[in-house]
Amino acid sequence: MIQQSLVRELRAICGSYGVLDDPDALLVYESDALTAYRHRPAAVVLPRTTRETRESVAAIARHGLPIVPRGAGTGLSGGAVALNDAIVVGTARMNRILGIDAPNRRAVLQPGVINAELSVAARRHGLYYAPDPSSQTTCTIGGNVAENSGGPHCLKYGVTSRYVTGLEVVLPDGEVIRIGGQGRDAPGYDLVGLFVGSEGCFGIATEIEVSLLPVPESVRTLLAIFDRIEDAGRAVSEIMSAGMLPAAMEIIDGATIRAVEDSVFAAGYPTDAEAALVIEFDGLEAGLKGDAERARRRCLATGAREVRTAQDEAERAALWKGRKKAFGAMGRIAPDLLVQDATVPRTALPSVLRGISRISARHDLVVANVFHAGDGNLHPNILFDRRDAEELERVERASKEIMRLCVDAGGTITGEHGVGLDKKHHMTLIYGPDELNAMWGIRRVFDPGETMNPGKVLPDETQPVAAAVPA
Amino acid sequence: MAGPGRVRQSRPSATASQPAATDPASSLARALREQEEGLLNCVHCGFCLPACPTYRRLGDEADSPRGRLHLMRAVVEGRLEPGAEAYQRHIGRCLGCRACEPVCPSGVAYGHLLELARRVGNEAKPPSLVTRIILATFGSRWAWRPLLAGARLLRALGLPALAARRPRSGANARGPRLALAMLAASARVRSLPESPPDEVPSPTTPTTNAGRTAADSPSPTDGPDNRPTVAILTGCVQAGLFGRVNAATRRVLEANGYRVVPVGAQGCCGALHAHAGELDSARELARRNVAAFEAAGADYLAMNASGCGAAMREYGSLFSQDDPDAPRAAALAERVRDLSELLVVRGPRPGGSIHLAATSDAPCHLLHAQGVADAPERVLRAIPGLRLLPLQGASECCGGAGIYGLTQPELGGMIGGDKVRNILESGAAAVVTGNPGCMMQIGAGLRLAGSSVVVLHPAELLDESYRRGGLYDGQGR
Repeated sequence: MIQQSLVRELRAICGSYGVLDDPDALLVYESDALTAYRHRPAAVVLPRTTRETRESVAAIARHGLPIVPRGAGTGLSGGAVALNDAIVVGTARMNRILGIDAPNRRAVLQPGVINAELSVAARRHGLYYAPDPSSQTTCTIGGNVAENSGGPHCLKYGVTSRYVTGLEVVLPDGEVIRIGGQGRDAPGYDLVGLFVGSEGCFGIATEIEVSLLPVPESVRTLLAIFDRIEDAGRAVSEIMSAGMLPAAMEIIDGATIRAVEDSVFAAGYPTDAEAALVIEFDGLEAGLKGDAERARRRCLATGAREVRTAQDEAERAALWKGRKKAFGAMGRIAPDLLVQDATVPRTALPSVLRGISRISARHDLVVANVFHAGDGNLHPNILFDRRDAEELERVERASKEIMRLCVDAGGTITGEHGVGLDKKHHMTLIYGPDELNAMWGIRRVFDPGETMNPGKVLPDETQPVAAAVPA
Repeated sequence: MAGPGRVRQSRPSATASQPAATDPASSLARALREQEEGLLNCVHCGFCLPACPTYRRLGDEADSPRGRLHLMRAVVEGRLEPGAEAYQRHIGRCLGCRACEPVCPSGVAYGHLLELARRVGNEAKPPSLVTRIILATFGSRWAWRPLLAGARLLRALGLPALAARRPRSGANARGPRLALAMLAASARVRSLPESPPDEVPSPTTPTTNAGRTAADSPSPTDGPDNRPTVAILTGCVQAGLFGRVNAATRRVLEANGYRVVPVGAQGCCGALHAHAGELDSARELARRNVAAFEAAGADYLAMNASGCGAAMREYGSLFSQDDPDAPRAAALAERVRDLSELLVVRGPRPGGSIHLAATSDAPCHLLHAQGVADAPERVLRAIPGLRLLPLQGASECCGGAGIYGLTQPELGGMIGGDKVRNILESGAAAVVTGNPGCMMQIGAGLRLAGSSVVVLHPAELLDESYRRGGLYDGQGR
């Protein structure tokens, strides 16, 4: 139970709507979009400004309580779950765009700004914000910074870290620092680079400066339909090998197609297909036609039964909506899902996809794949019903096996969703004690008291102190 | 076939094999079981958060659709008491605007789940006295008719208008003053705030049916015997305070080639009761209307109040499958159309010029619950001279939401205040919206803000255009 003196203090800082401490209402904060991990926080604070964040964090720190930062709660690795009765500091009310500097293609935002709404605002100036996570209509830039989020178009444009140029950060003790900003490469160490992707363990970003891109002159979007998902995987690998650079290449498998086509976001993917491959090229109009034609031929050569081209913006938007809302549409198949986020070399896609379907068959589970194929970033969605404890065990076993399969294929355990709670125990699959020690060291520079998002990212048993590894 | 409206399947069909009786225990059990089924679709993706007016203002997940569904599931799982303050507060704060439904990839039937949640919540803690009195009143024609007649008299005396004008107003009026301002806002607009044609602000989108006049439009009738027949739901509030809208509805339908047939003992549609979780009362009202409209035997049921339209389109799923009235209710629901849908099938015919800078606000229960998006603006384009200005946030709730202004004055005031600000910024002299609750909420907000922008129902405006265009000449109105 949280101390009433702290609640009063926080109310004085953030106002009555800004502090939530009714344990019943706090149930809704027990998980993010990965519902397999649930833990109710002791309280939630919703500051509106840097000052309110700084004062709240300082007050919580004085009481020695842990803090979990939270954006829109759309994370898929359990990063916003409040372990150990932590207090959640949410950014939902820090949702103002502070300025768009069009000539310099920069924007300064509060962390609670929704990703897609930044692009809508920038569009007036012929600009947009490139990283486009599938949840972009709801996820926040602050959360994107924490997770170093990707998205379909990161194949060509790169992930969040490439676009964040400056930050104002409230550190775990309430101190405020401003790092980077206004320049391509700030003097000294690249602290912005260090902070992006720190999953809420280093502090809370309260102001974010990002660079914007000009909206491309033209776009071509293709939809290739396959009867075998491995063939779609091969097409991706061949297109990249041929030296082309599509803006995005996404595979949607049969199970996902059928869920999406059943929803309000039906995109017109054929429901009898085993895979749909969405390929997009953007840039100058001259040249796009040639690229699109070459990609089309590659798809047909690898076994596509049909390749369509979106005829107008509405068709293009429909193809993308279907892809981006796919995760949410999984509720049509099962009430719960666990999304994996492994990345493998593109050339390994066909064999890994085969392996995943073998694992799911062995454990009698439905696995739906919808993923950033161009980057080799897989998202197997393991579907289940958490009311069935025995099924939940099979899910955990299958999940581990899929992870192992990807690592063995030369891949890694996360592409863009972060490690959070779900993948921290897989960190030892990738890193040895020396690397983990180095990470612990950096974490403690920012957060010596281990009060910022404790229990995430790094496995507790690898803590240098606990491990007491002789030098 | 008239009526292209897309009917959203918004309720999972009730599977309970309970007697249709009003035994509270079985009714509660049924509500909980239906809820458990419906809640499983939510995978917690959070795509609904930005669509929710209360979440956008408070930033509290418990006041988002995903959060409210989570609370409902906690009750179903036995982790939360429906009498708990948190449950009552956050379920109570939901506007029921259903803006979360069209953005949900998994098709969670939020509106229906909310009704069940309120049903469950009411069992643990009865609704406030004010709510109960209002619902009881609209449950019986013998109660609402004299009450609304009294309201009309009060309105005619001008007291409500005076109260809304008092200087210490501000948009955040509460309780009785808000109610009086709403009553004042229901009055007929005496003269349209027209401006000379060249002073009407330029629209961003082309709006009028350029070049078309009443003279060269197709003949409205296919011969008197072939005309499709329409029965109009006259409603309770609509009949009591907006009689002119019902009269205009009849005239514009007839002018567009429909034959309006009378309906016997129709009454309140029960939407208010369903939204408040009083599902048994809602079913009783629905049964009465099903019988009345079946007897009228029209091809279509025309709705000029989108809250009622949404409720009647969902009559089919209000009853459990083994209820003897369920198939009849479902068949009737198939014939329900919004007035604007019936009109666009016929053009509608253009009328005479009205030089008015107007903006259109989409009623939630038309846009989100019935999925009717373009029809109202297409109706307005039949009016030469009318300029339609874009309205920021037109698809967001106005904060009216039935009796929300009375039950949640602070939040309702916040949401309504934003709507008023957007309307004032649009530069329009009139707002057009097709639901009486929205008309009163927006009208009250504008009045309290000291604005002279008027609120009109699309039927009223089209009716005036037809009168000016001479479409009624020689018809004896």
